[in-house]
Amino acid sequence: MAQPQVPVTVLTGYLGAGKTTLLNRILSEQHGKKYAVIVNEFGELGVDNDLVVNADEEVFEMNNGCICCTVRGDLIRIIEGLMKRKDKFDGILVETTGLADPGPVAQTFFTDDEVKARTRLDAIVTVVDAKHFLGQLEQGDEAEEQVAFADVILLNKTDLAGEDELKKVEGKINSINRYARIFRTQKSQIELAAILDKGAFDLNRILEFEPDFLHHGHDHDHEEEVKSLSLTAERPVDPDKFQKWMGALLQLRGPDIFRSKGILAIDGAPRRYVYQGVHMMMDSDWGTPWKEGEKRFSKLVFIGRNLDGENLQRGFNDCLK
Amino acid sequence: MKLDLSNPAWHQTLPPGRSVAGDAPAAACAFSKDGSIAAFALGDGRVRLLPADINAAETPAGEPLHNGVALALVGDPAGDGFVSGGDDGKLLRIGADGTASEIANQKGKWFEHVAAHRATGAIAASAGKSAFVVKGGEVKEFGPHESTVADLDFSKDGSRIACAHYGGVTVWSIGQVTLPPRKFAWRGSHVALKWSTDGKFIATGTQENDIHVWRMAQATDMRMQGYPAKVKSLSWTADARFLYTSAQPVFTAWPFSGKGPEGKPPLQFGEEGAGLISVVAAHPAAEFVVGGYDSGELQLGDIKTRRSVVLKMADGSAITCLAWSPDGYKLAVGNEAGALLVLDLRR
Repeated sequence: MAQPQVPVTVLTGYLGAGKTTLLNRILSEQHGKKYAVIVNEFGELGVDNDLVVNADEEVFEMNNGCICCTVRGDLIRIIEGLMKRKDKFDGILVETTGLADPGPVAQTFFTDDEVKARTRLDAIVTVVDAKHFLGQLEQGDEAEEQVAFADVILLNKTDLAGEDELKKVEGKINSINRYARIFRTQKSQIELAAILDKGAFDLNRILEFEPDFLHHGHDHDHEEEVKSLSLTAERPVDPDKFQKWMGALLQLRGPDIFRSKGILAIDGAPRRYVYQGVHMMMDSDWGTPWKEGEKRFSKLVFIGRNLDGENLQRGFNDCLK
Repeated sequence: MKLDLSNPAWHQTLPPGRSVAGDAPAAACAFSKDGSIAAFALGDGRVRLLPADINAAETPAGEPLHNGVALALVGDPAGDGFVSGGDDGKLLRIGADGTASEIANQKGKWFEHVAAHRATGAIAASAGKSAFVVKGGEVKEFGPHESTVADLDFSKDGSRIACAHYGGVTVWSIGQVTLPPRKFAWRGSHVALKWSTDGKFIATGTQENDIHVWRMAQATDMRMQGYPAKVKSLSWTADARFLYTSAQPVFTAWPFSGKGPEGKPPLQFGEEGAGLISVVAAHPAAEFVVGGYDSGELQLGDIKTRRSVVLKMADGSAITCLAWSPDGYKLAVGNEAGALLVLDLRR
């Protein structure tokens, strides 16, 4: 029997950024909705709620030889368990530990059929500590990757940083992930509508969600860094060539590509072809039809490490008719 | 043993039995040791007891015993009632009168799987990364394993338990002498486990839509691939000649007599369901089997004659649990919509 899919919001952020404060807010505020919350530290939350579930971040590698195909088995189990409840809920929030890579959480929603049938990944929300973010970037890859994966960023604790500092942090966030929407917050105070039910992984909403989706351009940052870039084309795409190129690219560079999405004008097809992915895992479908006389175009977006925009554009150009 | 599998009337109406609205998804069902009570673990924390005698008066629903979902249930091998596990971290012993007492409490964890060993009266239950064995009032912990225990089962003689987790299966001796655990490795996440009824094999279903079977004596293993979904239900026949697996549209049994299933196709029979078999349960004594579908149907089969009959269920909700009574004449069935059935199949 078809049941509505429960939206799942993944909440990431470095240690001390304000994730717990945000969760406490969501659980205690009167908004008339019921959320199940999957946390990794039981007892940290001040709210006593039987819909708070403790999880160990149990990541396993899929048995398919792909090193970036890692999945949270504990999430699969917990979601199956939550679905046995009599009382249903409006959404699920998954909090990751401060040092977690958001990849396995996101990939879980591409991998498991039952999880896919019952839930849908809605968005990845990353809480950033305005005062300490730049310093955290020096500590390792985690803070950077959490921003790279994000659909929505809460630039939190803005009261502790000056305007110049905030501008600098926002500039850095933009250089890593220019497609995420940034909200400045204090004490994680935010309208829930800004972070929940965003449809960021909804293939039908790829265009409407991206604030900067039609902005084209390459930046010439140092390539070692995580950055976002887009490729465009006006000539129609040869589907076979594209599939081959994208397949090889993900096979080779999957671990370095955190998020990708795109709209393709396939040669001879009346509808847009849309896709989105996390590392090597992809979802794709036919989107809305092109209107009569509408200018057709293709646009791909990548957020990842060591991306060579010119090389990627050349590869993409070879897929065009 | 005779079951009425050829009754064409069952296509239209269910066999004699009782049907009760459980008001919450059924997570598990079981019969009491003496077969007189059928019980259902429900998504509102209740454990619903019903007389197995379909003509006896229905007992009232009672209050929730778990604060959350009652996830796992077995007949109490050392009593007249049941043992249940819940997502409130409680493992409960439930009397035939429905009163409950706490055996163990693992706050913040879920008691997700419970197994019973009839002859020794022992219970094994998993919460988080550990398994707990309950015997004669004593609770002993085995673990922690490297990841959460995804399923567990007793050996035939009840001297050992096998726990499934990431990377394979761990077998513990639970008797007086504490031996180091034995590990059976296979990469990936193992999500279901059944020890064969003759004790010679351990079978698991994996996250990657295949099943894995270890031959205990030689510690050799085999893999059967090609399922369209995860195999979450496994059931060995009473004579250990076949292993039934879910996740197929018809009954699917791997032959384990003689040289085993290597290089052979599984035996498949029965009518194709609209969906896939979600739960399968071999008969405790004879050559019968029952399969419940994720599309809501119920099918009874006979592996010897390859005959089967599809029972039309009232709603299309996925069957979530099945249990045969110890004497093999009655069947408990629960589904996701909370329909609870006790059927009497005696001819």
